[in-house]
Amino acid sequence: MNPDWTPLLLAAGLGLGLRLAGVFLARHLRPDHPAVRWAAAVAGATIAAFVMIALIAPPGAAASVPPVARVAGLVSGLVAQWRFGLLAGLVAGLAVLTLVAAYGVNP
Amino acid sequence: MAATFLAFGAACREAGMPLEWMLACCLFVYGMPGQMVLLGVPGLPGVLGATVANARFLPLAIALAPYLGSRGWIAAPFIAVTPWAVAMRVVPGLHPGLGLPWFLGCGMISWGLGAATALVGFAVAASLPTAARPALLFANTLYFALLIGADLVRPAARPAVIGGMLAAPIAMMLPPALGLLLAGLVGGTAAWFWQRR
Repeated sequence: MNPDWTPLLLAAGLGLGLRLAGVFLARHLRPDHPAVRWAAAVAGATIAAFVMIALIAPPGAAASVPPVARVAGLVSGLVAQWRFGLLAGLVAGLAVLTLVAAYGVNP
Repeated sequence: MAATFLAFGAACREAGMPLEWMLACCLFVYGMPGQMVLLGVPGLPGVLGATVANARFLPLAIALAPYLGSRGWIAAPFIAVTPWAVAMRVVPGLHPGLGLPWFLGCGMISWGLGAATALVGFAVAASLPTAARPALLFANTLYFALLIGADLVRPAARPAVIGGMLAAPIAMMLPPALGLLLAGLVGGTAAWFWQRR
């Protein structure tokens, strides 16, 4: 396939523009400035909403992963993270998710 | 994050895109939701969709900029969710002059690692075992879910996390890219008001 490069270059330019706009808008503000705190809250909430959607109603190919596998992976990941840290949580969560998706009951 | 880029590389190979397009998308767009939109939606709708999907770059950059100093624009290309989430736990505790070099190191490693794993995904697309597919599809989600789980015990971050979780149904009622942006705005603004009361 011979792709059209224009959309990629336009999207890359707009993305860089958004990043630069954010840096220039806030570079002289203090970290506890209300605008900075608002932006941090919006960014944090966006990531939380992204995770909720990806777990409950994932788009595209991810929807083929059984819900029980997603929940099992999340719960085991959280438990392992609480006990042993982030990396252990990620490894344990993905291992359980893979096993349940392969061998678990698919309701 | 590496697993997500691995999966993106494999998806580009399966979609018949050339290696240089895949690599340019990882390095210059560097925001997975936008990259996925560009891969799936051709033309101007793809550009608009990718820009809306990656509109979170603006609040991410605003929140990080005060820690980067007057030359923070150098770090702009490396601002993305993964390095931001790590940086916001570390840079507030650093000496003011160390925020920029720390983030440049973190951001460039994350950026390079993403491109490198996408290359691996592109190379091994045909030989990836089927059993590994669920883990690849959910690695990024699980990673952020664990970060959010840890944030729930931090009083400063908790309201935004809860706000975003409660606002998620808004995103499910709208087109994905626009819905996520709106859910973040509603949930984050509500959390901000909650903290100011």
